[in-house]
Amino acid sequence: MEQQRAAYSTESVVAFCRFASANGLSGGLHRSLAALRAVKAVGSGDREALRFALRAALCCSKAEWDLFDGLFKAFEETSQRTPEAGPGRQKKTAEGSSQREAPRQHLLGYDAGDTKPETEGKTVVGASARERLATVDFSQVPQNDLARLEVLSLRLLRQMSLRLSRRLKSGYRPGPTDLRRTIRRNLAHGGEPIVLAWRNRRPRRNRLLIFLDVSGSMNAYSIFLLKFAYALEKHFRQVDTFLFSTSVVDVSDALRARRLSGALEKLSQLAAGWSAGTKIGASLHELNRVHSRKLRAGDTIFMILSDGWDTGAPEMLASELRAIRHRVRRVIWLNPLLGLADYEPVTRGMAAALPHIDVFAPAHNLESLLALERHL
Amino acid sequence: MHLKRDPDAGSPGSAGRQPFQDVGALVQGFGQLNYVADRALATAVFLAVQLRKPLLIEGHAGLGKTEVAKVLASLLETTLIRLQCYEGLDVNSAVYEWNYQKQLLAIKIEEKSDLTVEEKERHIFSKEFLLERPLLQSILAETASPVLLIDEIDRADEAFEAFLLELLSDFQITVPEMGTIKARHIPYVILTSNSTRELSDALKRRCFYHWIDYPSLEKEMKIVSTHLPSMEADLRSDVVRFVHAVRQLDLAKPPGVAETLDCGQAVMSLGKHRLDEEVVEVTLGCLAKSMEDGQKIKDAGIRELLGNSE
Repeated sequence: MEQQRAAYSTESVVAFCRFASANGLSGGLHRSLAALRAVKAVGSGDREALRFALRAALCCSKAEWDLFDGLFKAFEETSQRTPEAGPGRQKKTAEGSSQREAPRQHLLGYDAGDTKPETEGKTVVGASARERLATVDFSQVPQNDLARLEVLSLRLLRQMSLRLSRRLKSGYRPGPTDLRRTIRRNLAHGGEPIVLAWRNRRPRRNRLLIFLDVSGSMNAYSIFLLKFAYALEKHFRQVDTFLFSTSVVDVSDALRARRLSGALEKLSQLAAGWSAGTKIGASLHELNRVHSRKLRAGDTIFMILSDGWDTGAPEMLASELRAIRHRVRRVIWLNPLLGLADYEPVTRGMAAALPHIDVFAPAHNLESLLALERHL
Repeated sequence: MHLKRDPDAGSPGSAGRQPFQDVGALVQGFGQLNYVADRALATAVFLAVQLRKPLLIEGHAGLGKTEVAKVLASLLETTLIRLQCYEGLDVNSAVYEWNYQKQLLAIKIEEKSDLTVEEKERHIFSKEFLLERPLLQSILAETASPVLLIDEIDRADEAFEAFLLELLSDFQITVPEMGTIKARHIPYVILTSNSTRELSDALKRRCFYHWIDYPSLEKEMKIVSTHLPSMEADLRSDVVRFVHAVRQLDLAKPPGVAETLDCGQAVMSLGKHRLDEEVVEVTLGCLAKSMEDGQKIKDAGIRELLGNSE
């Protein structure tokens, strides 16, 4: 009982807010105040009442909502173990973060010392495509392509087709009449509507979602294509990049670093499953389920960069890709192998995917990326 | 804390007194109005009403998000003002618009009158010519705080969201021709979202949050018995269990509570007393909202789904 009483004090609510924000919830003074007021408003209820009140005040998305109950329980346990919540909480937080660090490093799982200078700008030639490379070292990435890639990405995104928004703004071509402006414009004519003003639809830029295969079979290209993604991200906010092999990682934030080296350093902190196997179907499924908000109906161009070597079921790949195509504006599949003279898309995965692709194009060098202009 | 005014100031004896003192009373109140609310939802609504902060409710379609606002309005015995968001929603259709046609006519009619220009202007830009859209209506409420439901906010664009932020923090609207209108009674705001896109942090920060999940078996039984009281207990249990089994499948659009009720209603109208394979097949359209989903249910085996559920 004494414990429960203690759990309602201002200090413990604030302590919980800090604990929660240290462990993944969006925190801040504003939220802590809201939590305090909420707890006060529900009054001296039981543990459940407190939990519901704090949850309503502190969460602001489904992800946080799911996280909350675990945090609440963990906090209760710690505060029970050490009656004075302060140091106990600190310790717990430190433990929690170090635990989270550990598996990440473990997942990363490559030896930085063992590097090979295999990733030069122009190593993307067909013959090396199927070489399985044991390690990836981002520090070996040469920067010389970058400038050209950036120029290219700028050109690409300028060309990206504009889509008309449903919101109307005043315009100069005939359309629905803008009465407000018509009246304003005709004040000089004593209110007689002589010159009409119209409302037109406003153009809006498409968004681009890049889905980049970093599995073993793509090793020779993934760095090059990643730089391409970096160049796109650097200049345009409306680009999202995901890496996938057996699972999906959102790397948009990491790629928005100011320098490529910084971006790559950030990327190496993420467990992206470099050089692992390929499960395109399962990865698309994950994208569809977890990141579906990024696939915004109507204005997203979905660009998948993969060689189509899939170890999963081709039916799954086909059905997930169809689901994506239903949502987005256009599906573009860039396949580096398409640059090889005798390549035929006959792998099971690629064959299953083909009916659900709008544009199928090569992406093995800069020239092939330049040709993309026509499709965006 | 962004509400600088005392919410009840200037409204003595109005319906501003809440008919519920605590969360339990709110659960009961909702129950009397045929809304089965769990304590988590009731707490969120209670806090939103007590602290005058907007409540953001997210969740899949057909789980009664919109209904919360309707029930709250009737519980508080106040009006419900609803703004349905859609792509292309702009301030003109959300806040106010001048009735231009009427204004033009009025100008013509008054041409011959000997009113001064100022008087004419004041007349033309008076309330008579103002078309109140939902957001302005909610601020102009005369007697008591209305419930303002901003439905499917994720459909409107970011620009509108930014505008809404301003309204939700000050509860005042500026009409250039008339001046600033401040809310006499701050509305209770409920926002719903199907989470098709991420809302801005600023908006989310201002709200209490509640995620409506698919209900548990018992809760859904209770909901069905509340809404379809004439349904036999056996059939109810059949339908709810079957829907729960269907939700386990990986459907594009898992059936919500609304679909459960539809299905129950359909089976009852067919005069059936138990759910069997045949009945399910003819009423499949109530649960599966696309060809693929229907096929998935059939592939999983309706008999198995019915069997699983027992």
